[in-house]
Order: sequence, then C-alpha cells, then structure tokens
Amino acid sequence: MIELASELDVMNRLQKKPSPDPLIEAYKRDVDRTLIRENLRLSVEERFEKLMRLQEFAQELRRAGKQQGRRP
Amino acid sequence: MTDFRALVSLLVKSSVEFIIVGGAAATAHGSARLTEDLDVVYSRNEENICRLVQALAPYDPYLRDAPPNLPFSWNAQTIRSGLNFTLITSLGALDLWGEIVGGGNYEDLLRHSIPIQLFGVECRCLSLEQLIKVKRAAGRPKDLETIAELEAIQEEQNHVDR
Repeated sequence: MIELASELDVMNRLQKKPSPDPLIEAYKRDVDRTLIRENLRLSVEERFEKLMRLQEFAQELRRAGKQQGRRP
Repeated sequence: MTDFRALVSLLVKSSVEFIIVGGAAATAHGSARLTEDLDVVYSRNEENICRLVQALAPYDPYLRDAPPNLPFSWNAQTIRSGLNFTLITSLGALDLWGEIVGGGNYEDLLRHSIPIQLFGVECRCLSLEQLIKVKRAAGRPKDLETIAELEAIQEEQNHVDR
C-alpha cells in the first residue's frame, strides 16, 4: 500500500510539475555527463553502432553469468 | 540482440510511416543507456498497416514473452484489431505503438519529430523536447533516471550551442 502510494505520488509529480523539478534535479546529479559529451561528439549512426556493441557485451555477460550459475 | 540497422532499413525501404520513440530515440539524441528494443509509433492508415504487415512478415513476428502456439496471426486484421504490439522478430525486439501516453498517435507526433540519417536511410525520430514530455506524461517511477539523463543531454546541447 505504501509502495503504491509512493508510485502514485511520483506519477502525479512528474505529470504536473514543470522542470526544474527537485526530484529530477536530484537524479541529475548522478548522470555521468562525460558519457553524454562523448556521445554528442558522435553521429547518430555511430551512437547506434555503440548501442549494438553494448548489447552484444550485455548478452555476453548474461551468458557468462548463466554459465557460472550452472557450475557446481 | 536487436539488429537496429536491419529493422530501420527494412521499415524505411518498405515505405512504412513510423517515428522512432523510447530508448532508441534517446540513443539518437545521445543517451548512454542500454536499450534492447526498437520502439516506433506507426501510422494506422490502411495503406501503412498493409505495408507494415508485408515488411515484417518474412521475419516471423510474434508476441514477445507470450507462450508458444497462441492463435496469433501476423496480418492486417490483427493490426486493425489491436493498437500496441510488443513483438519479437528474427531481427530482434520491436515495439509497435499506435499511440503513446502524452504524445498521441503518429499524426499528432509528426510535427514533434525530426528527420535523422541512419544506416544510409532517412527516418523520423521524436524530438528531444517531446521525448522528455512523453516520459513525464507516462509518469512511471522507472523513468526518473531517463528523464534526468534526457534533461542533462538538453543542457549539454545548449552548452555546446552557446
């Protein structure tokens, strides 16, 4: 019930509150802007190529994690 | 893994009217977050539905995470009867949205989209400003980090433009 109330609170807040919203500002402090700046220097296509490499890496990590989990 | 290159090229070359939204649109604008599917808002006019069906048919579209052997047929009637479809295809995960919360349908979003050059073709992508608006309108707690990053991108772009 408490969880549902806090989710509703976030929904109302996001929908009504214009930026700058203190909640979003708080999350913004943890955004790694060095990665954003690096991406902004790339073309749109290069950003997607990077995303696909990241997908491959994530897939490989999942595979390795799964394999590790199977070991006795 | 989703083959963004193949999916985008296929939709464009098949003359499907669509706008890239969601995580892929965020990537186009410079997001560093990992997204694993291609979200697009598609036009629901009759011709476009037929083009969409024909384009994807060879790639075995099926409802993602649904049990196998459901009576799901990929045809125009299925698209007409539904609105939003989360699909898995042999080219990867593709989400088709007839409309999105806070943004409306393809025709509503068209004026809030920008043309982008991608994989040798031109397609349309939701503008950064509108992407932030729809994420806010969706109001999901899981989007808080995404909104924060998109606003940071906007600030960085303004900083570069100054």
